[in-house]
Amino acid sequence: MRDLARDAKRLVGRLGSAEDEVRADGGEPVDTQGSGPIAALKRNLANQQFRESMPFWLPAFLLMALFVYGAIIWNFMLSLTDPVGLGSPDYSDLDFDMYVQAFTSDSFVNATVNTFVLLVAFTLVSLVLGLVVAILVDRNIRFENTFRTIYLLPMSLSFVVTAQFWLWMYNFDNGVVNLFLDVLPFVDKVRWFSNPELALPAVIFALIWQFSGYTMVVYLAGLRAIPTEHYEAARVDGASTFKMYWRVIVPQLKGSTISATVVLMVFALKAFDFLYALRGTYLPYKGTDILATLMMREAFSNGHFAYAAAIGIMLFVLALGVVAPYLTYQYRSGQL
Amino acid sequence: MGESLTETRGGMTEHDNTADVSRRTVLKTTGAAGAAGLTGLSGCLSSLTGGTSTVELLHGWSGGDGKAAFDSMREGFEEEYPDAELNVQAIGGSANTSLNTKVQQRVKNDDPPSSWADWPGANLQQFTDADAFGDIGDSVWTDEVRDAYLKGPMDAAKVDGTFVAVPTNIHRINNLFYNKSVVESAGVDPASIDSPNALVDALETVESETDAVGYAHSLKGPWTSLQLFATVFIGQHGSGAYDKFINGNGKKAQVAKSLETLASYAEYMPDDASSISFQEAGTMVQKGNAAFMHQGDWLAGMFQGSDFEFEAGWGHVPYPGTEGVYQLNMDSWVYPTNNPSPEGTKNWLKYCASKDAQKRFNKQKGSIPPRSDVSMDEFPAFQTQQFEEFTNSDSQPPSLAHGLAVPKAQLSALSTALSDKFDHTSDTVDATATAFMSAVGN
Repeated sequence: MRDLARDAKRLVGRLGSAEDEVRADGGEPVDTQGSGPIAALKRNLANQQFRESMPFWLPAFLLMALFVYGAIIWNFMLSLTDPVGLGSPDYSDLDFDMYVQAFTSDSFVNATVNTFVLLVAFTLVSLVLGLVVAILVDRNIRFENTFRTIYLLPMSLSFVVTAQFWLWMYNFDNGVVNLFLDVLPFVDKVRWFSNPELALPAVIFALIWQFSGYTMVVYLAGLRAIPTEHYEAARVDGASTFKMYWRVIVPQLKGSTISATVVLMVFALKAFDFLYALRGTYLPYKGTDILATLMMREAFSNGHFAYAAAIGIMLFVLALGVVAPYLTYQYRSGQL
Repeated sequence: MGESLTETRGGMTEHDNTADVSRRTVLKTTGAAGAAGLTGLSGCLSSLTGGTSTVELLHGWSGGDGKAAFDSMREGFEEEYPDAELNVQAIGGSANTSLNTKVQQRVKNDDPPSSWADWPGANLQQFTDADAFGDIGDSVWTDEVRDAYLKGPMDAAKVDGTFVAVPTNIHRINNLFYNKSVVESAGVDPASIDSPNALVDALETVESETDAVGYAHSLKGPWTSLQLFATVFIGQHGSGAYDKFINGNGKKAQVAKSLETLASYAEYMPDDASSISFQEAGTMVQKGNAAFMHQGDWLAGMFQGSDFEFEAGWGHVPYPGTEGVYQLNMDSWVYPTNNPSPEGTKNWLKYCASKDAQKRFNKQKGSIPPRSDVSMDEFPAFQTQQFEEFTNSDSQPPSLAHGLAVPKAQLSALSTALSDKFDHTSDTVDATATAFMSAVGN
């Protein structure tokens, strides 16, 4: 709690002038005058530089406050109302009924489980695959740029396009995935989307294909930042290639891993586009329903706007749960 | 990144201390310009939302026969009202999903377009419940129009006795299309199939006698199977039982029997049914890779747009067991309250109710006009035949999959039940039937 107060103070202090800050050796600014955030704010308002800088950040700040944070608060208020269809909701009678309804609903629980499975499986596999490909590309291979482009290209495509690709590739009769399986001995063709146990893995696989290229680029940048001496030193000490990477190189990629994880997880929460484009309705294939599709369906197919708002808030909390630790980490290491 | 920012900030402080006036002036001007820009933006927004005479129309026909049909109707309107300004937005997407979302957002924000194309009937309840529609009983539904319209479409245009919409076209759902040469080489006579279950034998014959797939059907979205269920239900239990079912008084045993029949078709569907669209299924019939297909008559619109010809290439019979039934789907244009262009919108709706509009629109759409006095002379042979069957039909039950029969939330519950519970096997029939009954129960 004390940490939090100190952080807040430091944040408010930072809004003001750099001259106020006296940095201790750890980069930690030390408050020299006054106490408490309110005092700091007052001090800032009296500061000429602070006032002069307002035209630059204030418009953007107000627009963000209104359209992003204001909208989130409004959505939260909406989630506390009772469903009224297309009419105006009644804001005088607020309660948590919609949240209770969500936690007792099978479809909500099912969508939450699917969301988590997608989040974890997609993120982990994308990270591992991206790391392996990055290390391979980093080993001075021929046509390095070509490979890099090939791996990254899927990410530049819209979900709408890749969904159609995969719909064709997963086609039972002439999809390339099944043609490949057909060649293998002892393996039969598979009905990917109509089998509820395989539909979600099929979707996750398609998303991994699209985003492991992004992970590769992040890791590649991390690898390039490691000095050659580290490789050489490991070699001199007699480390095998695997040991060198496992013990020396990979541990230095912590920063890349964290930022890639956050981006991947946020994309996983937004997998709505892909699922919507696959089938063209808010009702995805059985077994692939996630919170985002459930939210859209409740709002626009069923007209339960208050319930959908509650799901939206819970999705927001999930996303915040993913991003907040990252921001804290960044902030603590002085990168924010 | 963080460090370089600090450096910049430090650098700027130094400059400020040396009282660099010209830079400060630049800063102030930039700030002022930013503020002015914002004011301008909000001004712009208010002029967009303010009243104008432009008639804004939203519809879902972004391509193919639908687009051609709408464009032709629009031309007719512009000839009749040369001064009218139209702002037309086609919002495509399967089964109106995107259009419905857009419309709901606009209505919810109290900023409706002038008019949009929507399914009439029970589907309109969501809007009338929120008092979002105005009464056009006097302005558009004049005596001349009321006398000309057929009863089914006229009823669908009303909610609780008030006229709120203008239907422009009638589609038929209970069709069985077939590829002539495939059924001939299999030795099957489609006209002799007399029930939904008898069709299974015909499918079996087709698959044993030819290389073609028996039953072209798309399982990509739930709506194709939901409309097939409704047709099969009418074919097995009649329009009266269907009417009871959609009003929440149906019998579970009847629902289960129809689902069982759907399950028995599954064996004759294409292997990749779950990933193909209804258009792709239609192409299978067209190429001779499949024999039969159930679909709305927009499939005829699709066939007519190619060199696959009626009677020569493809044939049509009412779905087995549904002779004398014309299962309806319609599109209509609505009149929202808080209308941005009341007069212009009414002119558009009056035009939609006219003979000229309905002839232009339906000729290309594969559908038939809801007015009884439109001359069918210029229509293709298929539609002329359908119009005849319509005027001679005993009953015109509304479509289930398109929201004419049940309110939106019930339609959604039915689609979810079909998608989540039913996998086209006998094992899942009971659970699906239970879910169907609770979906339409009140």
